[in-house]
Amino acid sequence: MNELIYGLITGLAFGFLLQKGQVLRYDRQLGALRLLDMTIVKFMFTTVLVAMVGTYLLKDLGLVKLSIKATILGGNILGGLLFGLGWGLLGYCPGTSMGALGEGRWDAIWGICGMLVGGALYAEAHPLMKKTVLTWGDYGKITLPEVLGINHWILIVIFAAGGILLFWWFERKGL
Amino acid sequence: MKTMEKGQWSPYFAGALAGLVSIFSVWATGKYIGASTSFVKSAAMVENLFIPERVAVLDYFVKNGPKVDWQWMFVVGILAGALVASLSSGTFKMQAVPDMWKSRFGGAIGKRAVVAFLGGTVAMFGARLADG
Repeated sequence: MNELIYGLITGLAFGFLLQKGQVLRYDRQLGALRLLDMTIVKFMFTTVLVAMVGTYLLKDLGLVKLSIKATILGGNILGGLLFGLGWGLLGYCPGTSMGALGEGRWDAIWGICGMLVGGALYAEAHPLMKKTVLTWGDYGKITLPEVLGINHWILIVIFAAGGILLFWWFERKGL
Repeated sequence: MKTMEKGQWSPYFAGALAGLVSIFSVWATGKYIGASTSFVKSAAMVENLFIPERVAVLDYFVKNGPKVDWQWMFVVGILAGALVASLSSGTFKMQAVPDMWKSRFGGAIGKRAVVAFLGGTVAMFGARLADG
């Protein structure tokens, strides 16, 4: 029960910030895909950088555990291509479709219905996928620091520096 | 620099706060932020009303059953949080067709509905295949 309340509160805070950052809008999401407006990239990448530093800090202090998903090239690449195609058509991702509905952009409802159908279809297709696509290039639960054999803080600094450089370039170009 | 609209926060500021929310969540409950699994669970809930025997035999639905959990509540929270934020800044707007769509494809609701539905279907299939 407690867990459900935490979920709701975390979602409330997250949805509030997504709306304030204006990343729920179809125009912003398509703007990013059309390389016209980098608002959502700025938001997402900042979130990732901050969360990366904080999460690894807590992990080094022994306070949290990472939740690593398997790298399966077949699923990651094919799934990523399909996700991108669908995202471009819909203009909302799963989380932001709910947020878009919350701020009155009710065309998100069509997308949410489609996602329920997509989820049901995937449940039907999963046994076949497990025998085919999800066996192609299965590297298991790996991370970049492990694969490269270097300390994670070196990578974090590189990512942060790259992010700041990218943001600087966006602002210069007025994106 | 893009000009800010009414009620808009800098994406860097809002994004950084969202990062802090994510860190706090992992620290407080061990939960990492995500959304797409909840759509599978919701699909299982809907299917359970009509064909529960099918839901019971599908591995993927057994693993991601028709159950309300942390992430499901998180996704509901996103809707509520966006509602509160938009009402508080006067940016809430009932809109059937987005501006950019309208300027390119016109204001017909049906056309937008069909494309959005198909897009959602394909996007969710891809998201689950990639396990994102």
